[in-house]
Amino acid sequence: MAHKSSEGRIKELAGRLRPGPGFWTLQRHSNAVRYLLAVVLSLLVGCLLFLQQGENPLYATYVMFQGGLANIVNIGTSIRWATPCLIAGAAVVIAFLSGFQNMGIEGQMLVGALAAGIVGYKVSLPHIPHLLLCFLAAGLAGALYALLPALMRLYLNISELLVTIMLNFIAEFGTYYIVYWILMGGTRSNTGAAAIKTEDILESAEMGTLIKGTTASTAFLFGLILLVVLQVVYKRTVIGYEAVQIGQNMEYARAGGVNVVKRFFQIFLCSGFVAGLCGGMEVCGSYHYFLANFPGNLGWEVFMVANAARYDPIALIFISCIWGVMKSGSLQLERVTTLTRYSVNIIQMLFILFVAVDYVGLYQKYKDRARVRREKKPAAKEGNQA
Amino acid sequence: MTEYALTMTGIRKTFGSLVANDDVDLYVRLGTIHAVIGENGAGKSTLMSILSGVQRADRGTISLGGRPVEIRSPTDAVAHGIGMVYQEFMQYPGLTVLDNILMGYEQKKGPFIDRRGARKRLGEICRKYCFQIPLDSPVEKLPVALLQQVEIVKVLYRDARILILDEPTSVLTPQGIEGLFEALRNLKAQGKTILIITHKLKEVLSIADDITVLKDGRVTGRLTAAEADEPMLARLMVGRDVMLQADKLPCHPGEELLRVENLAVKDTVGVERVKRVNLTVRAGEIVGICGIAGSGENELVAAIVGLADAEKGSRILLKGEDITALSVADRRARGMGYVPQDRNRMGVNRQGSLWETTLMGHHIASGLFRQPLINKKEARSFSQDVVRNFGVKAQSINDRVGALSGGNVQKLVVGREFSDHYQLMVMEDPTRGIDIGAIEFIWKEIIRYAADGAGVLLVSHELNEVMQLSDRILVMHNGSLLELENGRDLTEKEIGLYMLGGAEYGSQVQ
Repeated sequence: MAHKSSEGRIKELAGRLRPGPGFWTLQRHSNAVRYLLAVVLSLLVGCLLFLQQGENPLYATYVMFQGGLANIVNIGTSIRWATPCLIAGAAVVIAFLSGFQNMGIEGQMLVGALAAGIVGYKVSLPHIPHLLLCFLAAGLAGALYALLPALMRLYLNISELLVTIMLNFIAEFGTYYIVYWILMGGTRSNTGAAAIKTEDILESAEMGTLIKGTTASTAFLFGLILLVVLQVVYKRTVIGYEAVQIGQNMEYARAGGVNVVKRFFQIFLCSGFVAGLCGGMEVCGSYHYFLANFPGNLGWEVFMVANAARYDPIALIFISCIWGVMKSGSLQLERVTTLTRYSVNIIQMLFILFVAVDYVGLYQKYKDRARVRREKKPAAKEGNQA
Repeated sequence: MTEYALTMTGIRKTFGSLVANDDVDLYVRLGTIHAVIGENGAGKSTLMSILSGVQRADRGTISLGGRPVEIRSPTDAVAHGIGMVYQEFMQYPGLTVLDNILMGYEQKKGPFIDRRGARKRLGEICRKYCFQIPLDSPVEKLPVALLQQVEIVKVLYRDARILILDEPTSVLTPQGIEGLFEALRNLKAQGKTILIITHKLKEVLSIADDITVLKDGRVTGRLTAAEADEPMLARLMVGRDVMLQADKLPCHPGEELLRVENLAVKDTVGVERVKRVNLTVRAGEIVGICGIAGSGENELVAAIVGLADAEKGSRILLKGEDITALSVADRRARGMGYVPQDRNRMGVNRQGSLWETTLMGHHIASGLFRQPLINKKEARSFSQDVVRNFGVKAQSINDRVGALSGGNVQKLVVGREFSDHYQLMVMEDPTRGIDIGAIEFIWKEIIRYAADGAGVLLVSHELNEVMQLSDRILVMHNGSLLELENGRDLTEKEIGLYMLGGAEYGSQVQ
């Protein structure tokens, strides 16, 4: 049909005005452009920062990439830091894709990690069962820790957002307390080390390393598999379909017959379980003991990482890897230049910022604007002649 | 010589390759009520957003009182005396009416807000135009009709000389509409110029002086209300003859499908909104319930479909089976479909694709949800059937629902529910805020659906719709249901009295 129906035209129009892709219609090719541009832009701004700090920006950038990718050991370090991003990011995706605000990833990670740490050295079992028991303990601890806010949401209608944030602090100091006063008996360890940590886990509870000489563990593979599985769940299964629909419009899902309360419980606890598991894998895979407050900023960064991936499991894999490279690059930067890791931290945040930009939409907007300007010119001339 | 308050000439607005307004001319005489009508997607909204500064035209001129002006932003529009009353009210819950009106245009005394001065001015405005609004009550406590008046007072407070009302009657009851028209006539009498965007022809003819008809971005008619009639306007809007009367098929009621006994429902704050009502729906009949907004009709429907809990002692039976305690999913699986009132909030997922939205509910009714994996093939073919059979204008079932026009979204929801072989269909306002072409289509579908042997419970705020379609008419008033024995013979006004005053008031009719 040469002449488009008015509805068709409006539809096109609306599509252009709001290009934010829904989960199902996400266009991956534009994602690649977005990530690349975000990396380049954040590095450009980062260079200014390096310059201001009195370092050669090109050299600093080089060092950063070298630290992240130059050799197998550095890649291992990158992988090590990408791993918690992957798994905790998955926990965020699970909750947020359905619109449930589990801000308590950090707390759930901590209790999960402590559970795995304790099981790791107190229980003696053959390798595989011991590992599985550690994971189970970690996951259950995380899920239980998510249970409280879920119940408070359901029965008292208290925002899960607030409760989970508060529980993060309780977890941070609670685990600290348990480790220092109960497990360590209130004294620093007999070696005089300052760290508040549990005893090393038994060798049977350690995960295999991926790259020798680094702390990159098989947890990375687990994270990859987990996200691919999530992707399949969201794309192919009924429960995934319902989870996505709830997240995009809960009222409509309810009217359609989805048991929103049940799904809320399942999804929230599942998110807590995965977060706890992430903590457990940090202990079994990288640290090999529970270290008080080990996640540091990670508990917050994962929200940004997952958001930058727009809660898409596959995109999350890429962003986590970029994140890991930057993190490991920042450590290298600190070692060989006068810069601190905080400079890279700023670049990481800039990256998140630039990833959020809708470049395709921007491009479209400016193209439209230029076209209007072009169209206006001849019109103005005609007006003058008349 | 006629004096024009507003002229728009040669307005053209394109979005990429599509032309939303194509050489549109609009002449609005000073001190008149001018209606701009057209189907959804005809370009009314674009034209108005150009006038109110939200969008800028590619070409064309706007003159106010004969002087060409340039409107670059909404603030510009306000400064030029153009006041927009939107379909969705822009009000902040938690603030009082007064503060909502002042928001953004606060009268100041030094660094402070001069509430006393503002109150005085608002009092004058209300007196002058005969509005009665409680300035100090929080906005969320106000009924819809009053909220709309608040919006009108707000633009008057901003010294609007030209008022634009976007679909002002879509949220109102017949009585509320009368009240609004009264207010508009008052405004007109005081010299204001009013522009109404609508697609309801009856109302256009009763209130407007001049009419401009838009279709596909072009003006297809420019006439005075005196020389226009409904079929003529409909033809100009749609481009063909349109049914304005439903061709109701004779009804042969069969077995009883739904029986509601002694139903009571409380709302979230514990007020009893439905007070022990009884109701039956048989196979093949359309039972219409009308009532003014807030008379308990929403709670009644919510309880029937399973979205709200019924109080103790209530019984809801579907085909003889007690379903009072069952979930929405169980009721769907047993053959109860539901077209919710607010399609965007409860009917569809605007961010998702067409097929996702059509799958919702169907995946339960068809038993698909019992399998762990989505049967994509089935889901897609079901979705394609809905889109094809119900004339949803979309390029593919992967399109975003949010990109569809209101009428098409509604067709999608109705189509989804009607394609599922439910025996009982509960519908709330199935044609709210959509254009005549789509209304005609959906009415036909409802009639055919009932004729095929299903029962339909139709709850609508559109009295005309209930009267056109129903075999039996029930009036909901203050939580009670009243069956009108001779409902189909009553006039709109008479039923309106029942809606307002219940049985006692309504009995004066006979």
